[in-house]
Amino acid sequence: MKTLSPEQQLAIADQAFDVRRLCLEFITNAGWGHIGGSFSEAELLATLYGGIMNIDPARPDDPRRDRFILSKAHASPALYATLALRGFFPIDRLYTYCRLEGLDGHTQRGQCPGIEFSGGSLGTGLSFATGLALGLRLADNFTSRVYCLIGDGECNEGQVWEAAMSAAHYRLDNLIAVIDYNKVMAKGKLSDLMGIDPLADKFRAFGWTAIECDGHDLPEICLAFHRAKYLEMNGHPVVVIAHTCKGRGLPEAEFNYHWHTHAPTPSQAEAFLADLNRTYGRQETFSRPLVAPKDGGLEAVVTADLHSGK
Amino acid sequence: MRLTYATKPLRETFGETLVELGAAHKNLIVLDADLNTSSRTVLFKQKYPERFVQCGIAEANLFGVAAGLAAQGYVTFPSTFAAFATRKALDQVYVNIAYPKLDVKIAGSYCGMTATECGPSHNCAEDVAVMRALPHVKVLDPGDNRELASMMHAMMATPGPVYFRVSKVNAPELFSEGHQFQFGRGHLLREGHDLTLLGSGFMTAVALGAAELLDREGISAAVAHLPCIKPMDEELVVNLAKQTGALLTIENHRIYGGLGGAVAEVIAREYPVYVESMGLGDDVFEAAPLQDLLRHYRLTPRAMAERAKALLRRKRHSSAA
Repeated sequence: MKTLSPEQQLAIADQAFDVRRLCLEFITNAGWGHIGGSFSEAELLATLYGGIMNIDPARPDDPRRDRFILSKAHASPALYATLALRGFFPIDRLYTYCRLEGLDGHTQRGQCPGIEFSGGSLGTGLSFATGLALGLRLADNFTSRVYCLIGDGECNEGQVWEAAMSAAHYRLDNLIAVIDYNKVMAKGKLSDLMGIDPLADKFRAFGWTAIECDGHDLPEICLAFHRAKYLEMNGHPVVVIAHTCKGRGLPEAEFNYHWHTHAPTPSQAEAFLADLNRTYGRQETFSRPLVAPKDGGLEAVVTADLHSGK
Repeated sequence: MRLTYATKPLRETFGETLVELGAAHKNLIVLDADLNTSSRTVLFKQKYPERFVQCGIAEANLFGVAAGLAAQGYVTFPSTFAAFATRKALDQVYVNIAYPKLDVKIAGSYCGMTATECGPSHNCAEDVAVMRALPHVKVLDPGDNRELASMMHAMMATPGPVYFRVSKVNAPELFSEGHQFQFGRGHLLREGHDLTLLGSGFMTAVALGAAELLDREGISAAVAHLPCIKPMDEELVVNLAKQTGALLTIENHRIYGGLGGAVAEVIAREYPVYVESMGLGDDVFEAAPLQDLLRHYRLTPRAMAERAKALLRRKRHSSAA
């Protein structure tokens, strides 16, 4: 898939929209979640799962599949929604997000089909992906590739650069790192808290091929991945630096760290859906009622026991 | 005993006390790893931006920088989630801080199950066990806001590394105005003679609730609060073992290596009686709201009262035999 046909482009755009709508819905009902980083990666995931990666929802354990690692595992909502929309598991399961025995706030390996990596501790994904890529080589699997989506703030972690050094050392050109460069961390702008520029030069200095693209422009994303997969397979791992917007699609949340970890109230969520409909020219509604959960915490638990029964 | 719950979470008192201490101690520096509005060190950052060091999402770096500053005569408060302070940066904490006894006060925020919806990667049921195993580090788990504030004043006055737990929980007010925290001191909150319930952190509220339920059934349970897990108040614990003959601990932590482990070590050595522990077993704290986690892992007054009755039967059976 070097270029996208108009039909493919529409399908991927629709999927990115639906991911945002579903995220709003189940994050609101969980009362917790990461909207900003989920919305910045929506087009990247929709493209990867919409034709770039070799995956089959019916055979999530196929040894010849491409592997996907979400190193920025707090942005799990968009991945869960993408997997559900692609048929890896029923959509209903999304509504177990952050409930006991449900989908975890951060991805947990094996918790549901398509989740390969236990994350949440930032900076750890690229090492795991390097191990997978090396393992594929050792097993003479030259079909599968490993994709690892990394947050920009996450590049503060030294381990990212330890992994980058290792992957280049082992000449792992079956490894494609993707940076969701949305410019905003949990508590402020990257450039204010701990800047990472010049990012492409850093990766190049570590022996990687670096490609930059607009992470919301579908033809550009597609071309970048095509280059990463075919044109620049020359013994170097490849990084696609996708320039994105945290909270993309919601004027209130765009580049706003307040929406890094934050759940909307039901009425905010309705307003956000109206924003999304306006931005993407859609007229969708939520598929189920929005109810903000209540956590009475320690006091509720202790008080309930003391007042129930005798 | 009717408990009143604080209107602000422990982390708010943590941030406010940092500001207070910052005014009195010009050599106090706070360090962050992109979590300051969660941990509430943002309050210090707003007041003393020149003494607030942002280290980025890089915990190994955070503790290394904190150690270097401490070696220059500063008292440093590096803060991040308990999970990252203990599981992620353990080597830096051990080699650069604990071993050379530097003046670094580590706040482990969102301790135990209190990272709630974040799930197993952020919930941390092993921080006390990990820190207790390091040399020279004092390990603290405050029961209420007053105790946390007093504890922070005490650590400023005492050189050397400290690890203390903070959370977003609104804790019960265990202590009145003027309560003084002292290293190595626990507090008897309720007299009793059948058995003793021991708690640390905000879980002492669950022990008090359990004692109340037991009292309704004619069972007299003593309750003690142990905010200082290392060094432990051995005298208090041993006396309670002598007086009641059985101890049941509860903590927002794994049952291995935490409060229960620390109590069992003392009791096995000094005055062997039954010690049982409540907390997380060989499992993880899943993602869920706090009230659901407390109930799911059976860390409630009712569950503790049931466990206490079973322990009491065990104690009576063995003394009859």
